[in-house]
Amino acid sequence: MSTGLEIRRTARKLISASVENGQLNPDVVRAIVKKLAGKKPRGYLQLINAFRRLVRLELEKSRVLVQSGAPLEASLREKIVSDLKKKYGRQIVAEFAVDKSLIGGVKITVGSDVWDGTVKSRIERLAHKFG
Amino acid sequence: MSNILQELESEIAALKTSVSKSNIGIVREIGDGVAKVEGLSDVMLNEMVEFPGGIHGLALNLEETEVGCILLGDGTHVKEGDEVKSTGRLLSVPVGEKLLGRVVDALGQPIDGKGDIHSDDVYPVEKIAPGIVARQSVSVPVQTGIMAIDAMIPIGRGQRELIIGDRSTGKTTVTIDTIISQAQQNRAAEEGKLKDHKPLYCIYVAVGQKLSNIARTIATLEEAGAMDYTIVVSASASDSATNQFLAPYAGAAMGEWFMDQGKDALIVFDDLSKHAVAYREVSLVLRRPSGREAYPGDVFYLHSRLLERSARLSEENGGGSLTALPVIETQAGDVSAYIPTNVISITDGQIYLETDLFYQGIRPAISVGLSVSRVGSSAQTKAIKKVSGSTKLDLAQFRELQAFAQFGSDLDEQTKAQLDRGERIVELFKQQQYSPIPMELEVCILWAMQNGYFDKVPVAKIKDCQSKMEEFLTARKDPLLGKIREEKAVTDEIGEELKQAIKDFIGSYKA
Repeated sequence: MSTGLEIRRTARKLISASVENGQLNPDVVRAIVKKLAGKKPRGYLQLINAFRRLVRLELEKSRVLVQSGAPLEASLREKIVSDLKKKYGRQIVAEFAVDKSLIGGVKITVGSDVWDGTVKSRIERLAHKFG
Repeated sequence: MSNILQELESEIAALKTSVSKSNIGIVREIGDGVAKVEGLSDVMLNEMVEFPGGIHGLALNLEETEVGCILLGDGTHVKEGDEVKSTGRLLSVPVGEKLLGRVVDALGQPIDGKGDIHSDDVYPVEKIAPGIVARQSVSVPVQTGIMAIDAMIPIGRGQRELIIGDRSTGKTTVTIDTIISQAQQNRAAEEGKLKDHKPLYCIYVAVGQKLSNIARTIATLEEAGAMDYTIVVSASASDSATNQFLAPYAGAAMGEWFMDQGKDALIVFDDLSKHAVAYREVSLVLRRPSGREAYPGDVFYLHSRLLERSARLSEENGGGSLTALPVIETQAGDVSAYIPTNVISITDGQIYLETDLFYQGIRPAISVGLSVSRVGSSAQTKAIKKVSGSTKLDLAQFRELQAFAQFGSDLDEQTKAQLDRGERIVELFKQQQYSPIPMELEVCILWAMQNGYFDKVPVAKIKDCQSKMEEFLTARKDPLLGKIREEKAVTDEIGEELKQAIKDFIGSYKA
């Protein structure tokens, strides 16, 4: 495989093989990379890079960033994670961060979806409406 | 002050319980006016997206792992890692009568330095064309003021008539003459001189042209007083390929506003060859598969969806119309090239301008044999139909006989008469640029030609005779011209008056 198109197609096949029940299987990913690095087929470096990009995108789908103006209590964190699991129907990895500029409220980013209930965004929307 | 407080309180109350949901992406690649964005999982095709700094873009390529967006504006400050937000909106342009007399860019923003345009409405740039049931047949003429076109290749309101030819054959001149003619008729109607005339507003879309050419065109329109009824949409050669790609659609949206209001509009796309080249550039940068001549596979659809938006709506839908005059530039007269054949198959006829005719002094250099209007005489007034009935046939016979005439052999009287008549018709149809002729004068000239009043005038003096006839009729026979203008037909009474008038003139004319 030498052309960019063939490499991208192969990478897509590899990522499909790595995803089980909507979740990325890290063992399969490791095995694929080990095999490619070992056998070194033509264009293997480009293929590994393309595969790496698709793995990153797949992980980002499950990655959740929860930002708040103040630290959240453990019970609230658990509730957010379980609600998101219910909504998306898959295992999610939640990362919690405090950003004082948000003032208050919570901003949840799941992949490309952003739910923003922070005071900062409400003020920005208000300003936009009157601007 | 209390109003603003109340407004503020209601806005705060509305915001108290709301959480906004947005869809974002991250720029991974940016260059050549195209950004590759990862994310934007919910974005729709042709949806507007917002880059940092208020720059907008259009999502054109929806791929599995990324979205290809074209930038509508200066993308020099957009960089990798920037967040892109979907807006949930389609690209729209301001429309309405406030745009008349203005020069705008492909996004409808003014570029003539005459201040902001506060339009009442916005229309989406991409819109589905009216359906079959919403339309009615074309039956009202567009008087271009160019005698050759009005007599032999008539254009109707709601028609798409292609103007095709090599460089410098007079394609733009034909369109500008048409616009000037509409402005003259609109003005005459406003002054009460032209009854039952529905104004025709014009939109001139300049795609990929030199700025000096666009400036000259605008100056010509201003001098002729046509800018009051015209919108100019400019996407010059120095504009991005994105703007050149969008400009015709923006112009079509402006024309559709008039059509939806029950009014008539005319749109000139000058020219669609450069439009196809701009689309090719955008598609290649978006890495879309290329086909014949490196054009993308949907280059036909690019023009068909644009031109199908020109229509004449039925009375139930307002009765408005949008007439399109697309322009295509051929190379070395090759009408069988890719883009010309595409557009010929879409339009309702073509006006073919030939370089040979142009350099022979026949201007407008219309090739009557290759030009056609598929609407035909349905788009002619009764008057013009009556006086131009056999003109196309006479010219066709003349061209066939011309080949024999150059051998200098003895010709019979009938052949000589046909040749003489043909030479005079060709001479009559020559016309100065930016000088459209009113319908009533066209009728008089064509009637005089049809009835042989020019037969005794030497060919070299035909134009002189014609201009003096026009002066005579305008100065001394204005009531007769008024009758023709109102009735739009050559009745027996008008015929008799016309006969007398022409006889009087010919009697006094000295060649």
